[in-house]
Amino acid sequence: MAGFLQQVVEGLGAGAIYAGLALALVLIYQFTGIVNFAQGELAMFSTYLAWQLTAAGLPFWLALVVTLVVSFAGGMLIERVIIRPVEGAPELTVVIVTVGLFIFVNAAAGWIWSFTIKDFPNPFPEGAFRAGGVSVGYSTLGILGVVAVVMGLLYLLFQHTKIGLGMRAVASSPQSARLVGIRVGWTLALGWGLAATVGAVSGVLVAPLLFLDPNLMGGVLIYAFAAATLGGFDSPLGAVVGGLVVGVAETLAGAYVGFIGSDLKIGVPLVIILGVLLLRPQGLFGRAVVERV
Amino acid sequence: MSELVVTDLVAGYGDAKVLHGLSLTVGPGEICAILGPNGAGKTTLLRALSGMVRGRGSVRLGGTELTGRSPDAIARRGVAHVPEGRGTFMPLTVEENLRLGAYVRRGRTGVEADLDRIYTYFPALKPRLRQAAGSLSGGEQQMLAIGRALMLRPRLLLLDEPSLGLAPLVTRELFRIVRAINEQERTTVVVVEQNAHLALGIAQQAHVLETGRIVLSGTAERIRADEQVAQSYLGYRV
Amino acid sequence: MSEAAEARASGSRWRVAANRRWIIMALLLALTCYAPFQLVPFRVFQFTMVLIYAVALLGLNLLVGHTGQISLGHGAYFAVGAYTAAILLHSWHVPYPATLPAAAVAAFALGLAFGVPAVRLRGLYLALVTLAIAIFLVPLLKRFESVTGGSMGLTLAKPVPPAWTGLAEDQWLYFLTLAVAVVAFLVTRSVLRSRVGRALHAIRDNEAAAEVMGVRLSFYKTLSFAWSAMLAGIAGCLYTWVIGYVSPDSFVVTLSITLLAGLVVGGLGSYWGPLLGGLFVMFVPSISQSVNDAAPGVVFGLLIIAVMYVAPTGLAGLAGRAAYSIKKTLRKE
Repeated sequence: MAGFLQQVVEGLGAGAIYAGLALALVLIYQFTGIVNFAQGELAMFSTYLAWQLTAAGLPFWLALVVTLVVSFAGGMLIERVIIRPVEGAPELTVVIVTVGLFIFVNAAAGWIWSFTIKDFPNPFPEGAFRAGGVSVGYSTLGILGVVAVVMGLLYLLFQHTKIGLGMRAVASSPQSARLVGIRVGWTLALGWGLAATVGAVSGVLVAPLLFLDPNLMGGVLIYAFAAATLGGFDSPLGAVVGGLVVGVAETLAGAYVGFIGSDLKIGVPLVIILGVLLLRPQGLFGRAVVERV
Repeated sequence: MSELVVTDLVAGYGDAKVLHGLSLTVGPGEICAILGPNGAGKTTLLRALSGMVRGRGSVRLGGTELTGRSPDAIARRGVAHVPEGRGTFMPLTVEENLRLGAYVRRGRTGVEADLDRIYTYFPALKPRLRQAAGSLSGGEQQMLAIGRALMLRPRLLLLDEPSLGLAPLVTRELFRIVRAINEQERTTVVVVEQNAHLALGIAQQAHVLETGRIVLSGTAERIRADEQVAQSYLGYRV
Repeated sequence: MSEAAEARASGSRWRVAANRRWIIMALLLALTCYAPFQLVPFRVFQFTMVLIYAVALLGLNLLVGHTGQISLGHGAYFAVGAYTAAILLHSWHVPYPATLPAAAVAAFALGLAFGVPAVRLRGLYLALVTLAIAIFLVPLLKRFESVTGGSMGLTLAKPVPPAWTGLAEDQWLYFLTLAVAVVAFLVTRSVLRSRVGRALHAIRDNEAAAEVMGVRLSFYKTLSFAWSAMLAGIAGCLYTWVIGYVSPDSFVVTLSITLLAGLVVGGLGSYWGPLLGGLFVMFVPSISQSVNDAAPGVVFGLLIIAVMYVAPTGLAGLAGRAAYSIKKTLRKE
């Protein structure tokens, strides 16, 4: 039993990271209906930025703040410059543009920082907290805590600020939002900025566990897709719950299903994505979309 | 001086022009009814006034040129448009919808008082404040849409077919309220309506549109009195 | 001029244009047959790879360009074709020619298997699923080591040119690939010109309208998926013949994304797009790699975005427009 609980705890830790990136995906999707295939790569780029700043001697937390601010601005800039021209274009066009962005950012990071792996400082202390035969690493606790804080801040933003209300209005109906005087273009850019910031957090959280290299987020992205699909692409809460579920499912499958083992774990998100899309396409928390012709 | 002055307005969608050089004026605090058959360009006229479709020519509100500005910029200048389909933010609550109406107003002063004022006009909304707007009935959604528009404290209120899809009793009540709002707030109103009888009942002046042109203008009484107009342009007896 | 004469005149003008097209095609074919005797073996190898990519892109184009469905995982079908051929050659000692239909059938079957659920997925989700499949395939290949050779892969002997041809190995492989590519192009072209092609275009341009007009969506989408997978599988089989080695690391997700990039740059939905895309996929990385290891990615990424902005029809579209404007200027003279 303790062994099982231990696996669940590990799963939650991994899931929190997926949840972070899934949250970033959902932030953009609910405003624009775009799934940003480059989200993971943007997070990876932000993580390099943080690494560069700490390598230059900045204290970790200060480097993090600078990284988040730069990521926010970068996200907004990308929306204004790269995404704006294809806004309202067919889905295929938009997907291809974000895939192009994916390839570009990945290669650019390789160009700037080379493809050799780097050690990323762990902001959380070593060691673990023990309770009833289950040990919970401080870094697992830290990750869960950070994701909870991000979720809480987003909740406050959306539910209790005027800007958040405006953002939800744009997500609901850009046309009507314009008519009440909201600057929709800037709101979309704001969504991209927020997403880049949240993504950066997930990158910084995952980097100490893996090694930092330009393909850092490639694997995480597919889990984040599974998380967002499971939770519903238009539900931030769903993204977090989905992330945790995917993390636990992956860990348990790896530990208890002999055939899957550790090397085929990447099949778990695939099964989840396929299963959800075929059984309940809107996800657990999403709104069913009625296709209008 | 006139509040709204439209001169030689040409507008449409892409290459398809719907309005072919349309001119009209509306005095401050007046209600102006736009009548005409389907496809005459009534909705397009309202859309051009609020910036939803680009137009050429001139639209002036209280002396400020509006043509070429974006819808949000025009809203910030005090034009509240209740569009076809009402433009409700379905997943948001009724109260959030109303607060969004006041989005461009600076500061919180007056917003709470205005919310109360909306509830006196539309008491049916009050018990549903925390409910998702999408769960309201058609009539309630129309009230919400007008309430949302009023939260802007508009200089100019544009109403597109407020009677569409509503029961006759509800429609009559709605027009009574629009009249009351106009009298109490001195808001200038342009209302597009299929139901000519109702619209002429509250308007001071009216224009009849046909294929993108004004074919008849006059005071509401005159147009109402003109039986021939009713038959040839409005298609039925008033 | 009488109406009949007019019709005859326009008919003959049309025939002249059609003849000219055939002459150009014949010249092009002659050039492609002549080239391997003039180039060093490495160049011949490179052009063989161009043709292989072109066959794979032909399949991808059918799905993305002509049916409007997204696939970020075509490398998976390519890999399935490659591994089918490799395993048959390695463990069963099947003769070379027989591996081609086997690879085609395997990829077709897989395409069909994923095509059935894919029919229910909208663009975006289709992209997710296909991407996940491409990512999942690599660990799967590594896992079944006894069959696939695991991470080490499988090494195979290349086809030996028959003595009567008098060709060197690289030239023989080139002509084999060329023959398969030409047949694949001609068959796909005639399919696209039939009612099947019109149905696919209808789906791409407006799915709902196509359905209302009586196009059986699920049938044609699944067919397009399977056919597209089959072409990728054939390309994979050719790859095995030419390289003589398969390993999971040759088929990582980058391959799928590179294929999509090549197709977009070559020209979505155009007949020449796959060939131009093949040239692009083969030569752009090898040229830009001399600048920096990351340069191909930077070039690919920027070009994809730029193409979507300024020339959604890709290089093929640009070439077509250039040819048209040259013709127009010539006529004015």
